[in-house]
Amino acid sequence: MDWGRYRSSTYDELIQADGQPRPAARQLVEYLAGLSRRELAERQVAADVAARVMGVTFTVYSEGRNVDRTLPFDLIPRIIARPEWERTEAGLRQRIRALNLFIGDIYGKQKIVKDRVFPAALLKDSVNFRKQCFGVKPPLGIWAHICGSDLVRDRDGTLYALEDNLRIPSGVSYMLENRLVAKRVFPELFETTSILPVDAYPSQLYDTLAALSPRPGDTPVIALLTPGIYNSAYFEHCYLAQSMGIELVEGGDLFVDDDDCTCMRTVYGAQRVDVIYRRVDDLFIDPEVFHPDSVLGVPGLIRSWRAGKVALANAPGAGVADDKVVFAYVPKMIRYYLGEDAILPNVPSYLCAEKKDRDYVLANIAQLVVKPANESGGYGMLIGPRASRRQHEQFRKLILANPRNYIAQPTLSLSTAPIITEKGPQPRHLDLRPFVLSARDIHVTTGGLTRVAMKRNSLVVNSSQGGGAKDTWIVDLDEVT
Amino acid sequence: MLSRVADNLYWFSRYIRRAENTARLVGVSGQLQLDLPRAARFAWRPLIDTVGAGDVFETLYPESEADPSEVDVVRFLLIDERNAQSLRVSVRHAREILRTIRETLPQEVWEAVNDIHLYIEANGERSLGRRYRFEFISRAIDGCLRVSGLLTANVSRDIGYQFLRLGTALEQADMTTRIIDAGASGIVQGRVAESAEAFSALQWMSVLRSLAALQMYRRHVRQRVTPELSLRFLLQNNEFPRSVHFCLSRARNILPSMPVRKPVVTALNKVVAFVRDADAAELVADPCAFMDRIQNHLGTLHGIIHEAYFRT
Repeated sequence: MDWGRYRSSTYDELIQADGQPRPAARQLVEYLAGLSRRELAERQVAADVAARVMGVTFTVYSEGRNVDRTLPFDLIPRIIARPEWERTEAGLRQRIRALNLFIGDIYGKQKIVKDRVFPAALLKDSVNFRKQCFGVKPPLGIWAHICGSDLVRDRDGTLYALEDNLRIPSGVSYMLENRLVAKRVFPELFETTSILPVDAYPSQLYDTLAALSPRPGDTPVIALLTPGIYNSAYFEHCYLAQSMGIELVEGGDLFVDDDDCTCMRTVYGAQRVDVIYRRVDDLFIDPEVFHPDSVLGVPGLIRSWRAGKVALANAPGAGVADDKVVFAYVPKMIRYYLGEDAILPNVPSYLCAEKKDRDYVLANIAQLVVKPANESGGYGMLIGPRASRRQHEQFRKLILANPRNYIAQPTLSLSTAPIITEKGPQPRHLDLRPFVLSARDIHVTTGGLTRVAMKRNSLVVNSSQGGGAKDTWIVDLDEVT
Repeated sequence: MLSRVADNLYWFSRYIRRAENTARLVGVSGQLQLDLPRAARFAWRPLIDTVGAGDVFETLYPESEADPSEVDVVRFLLIDERNAQSLRVSVRHAREILRTIRETLPQEVWEAVNDIHLYIEANGERSLGRRYRFEFISRAIDGCLRVSGLLTANVSRDIGYQFLRLGTALEQADMTTRIIDAGASGIVQGRVAESAEAFSALQWMSVLRSLAALQMYRRHVRQRVTPELSLRFLLQNNEFPRSVHFCLSRARNILPSMPVRKPVVTALNKVVAFVRDADAAELVADPCAFMDRIQNHLGTLHGIIHEAYFRT
């Protein structure tokens, strides 16, 4: 593979501005340079076949029906040196501690509001604030047990937190599968390079869930609640349930009995469930409390949870902290609850609810990225520099109609890494989603899921919009191999 | 084992077995038709009644009345999406069910089912003409048997497996009675009334073939094919795996490895005794009513299994 003409217009994860590989990537880059175009193509085919056979799919709704697609996988891993990763990991731990304290405070005494660090008005309008969660004390005081934080790197090399997904973040199964594929394709490199393993995640997730059981001592009965096969992440639900050896259940498999215990319907009769890893959104989880016509949920589940008879991960209401407006307050939360400065900086955000910020956004919309506060999957956003004047005008109107629902951020020049194309290696923008588990201990995945925009110059990495994935290597240069 | 998953495993194996029997029935009928002497004619209509879809057929093909054409019947039984019992729909059901419980069965089973499904969707139309029908049908049968083979060879004998076996056993018992029913209600008709008797052996040979039973019959009975011996063999033989009694005994052997449910045992014993005590000599003149009664028993048994295991 010929690196001679490879240049990125921004920070590149593997190649420095002078065209030399970064130290942690040197072995990989030299190895790839030694492969002929044909050898490389063979490895890409092997990787695609491996992904298909393993059944790595996600479901997209298109043209009125659901289609299983395989997630495009690019061979060249994204590499982060261990010391940098350790700092990032410390930043993620700090963030999740503060976020959990914040959620507990919001559904408890609301000290942060009384101390005027966080404006009460924001809560009133938050679509993810659940008044039904007031006064609940979940096990260990943890609300967000599984968090997926999106990190991006700007032109100068700084890693920023872009958002925290505290509801039902997905993608970890791709991280695990990507590693299996990479090991099949580059066994030589795994022998000679010190690449930290990622496969502890399923057992750490199991331990995290088990720690929440309301019946400590016994082996807990744990189930993963899925909306079913038409959900885009159904593959992941199966994958995780299988790798933890827990039941995969749908709403209809569960009921709440007269003692407020949650039970599964089994061929042996009713069996009590202690912990539910729910991958169904809050609003669909219990038709008695939220959407009355939801068929995905379990009537009475919230009652059972409030009574402490079943643990839910993530706890209902945890999403109050993953609102993009609330996001802007995370550095203040860290200072308020932990008395520390944020290790991981936030992407600067302008809150359209505040007049000064709003005026700035309206005036500079062509340079900014505008996002609705509560959408995920990259839907409903405006990338100012890439949009037409008409779209700018349309978003100005949207913002004025509902300022609370919008934030804006400077258009970061997301970092790139090379992908394999027919014209040789070419830079593509990417981000990183590490997963953070919280119960008695906090576990951070080694690296995370690297999502990459497969289209040239595209800044959207979401799988639903044509993004792909790469394996993520945390490389230890000090370890002698 | 979740009730929903058990229910799905049970129906998955039923649909696979149903698809296979439907393919066999159409295949053998096509062959028989070619073998018939001029004095006899083949009636396709009973095949429709076999699967209990007479009303649906009449609505969909109003012009065919009592004597439908070969193409209409073959289309209806193999690929018509509007017939809930067609081969194509059975395979689709099996596949849809499997999608929801993919993590329960080995990946190869999914691949095998997907393979038959894609083949049927792509080649179904071609199966209507006699030229390609045989190839189509044998691929469909092979595909179903591959699934059965994978289940037998690769699935752990846990509680889920018992539901797979139960589904297969009850579906085969039911399909066997339906195929007997079709044969006995006159797929071969003499052009003149007196010749009817002479063709009944042909007819029963066709029934035996549809159930892959002709060779086993010969080995076991060591006589030429007669209606009475055929009926007895298919109903009561204890060694042939598609005989009604064999299937029901198998179901009875499964029950001890499942949670005890008294009403299931009682209902099953009832139908076993009903089949065992039947007098083939007496029934052979008109077995249809008796087959209907077995089917009713099986329907009741299914309802009781459903209540006992799938609706907790």
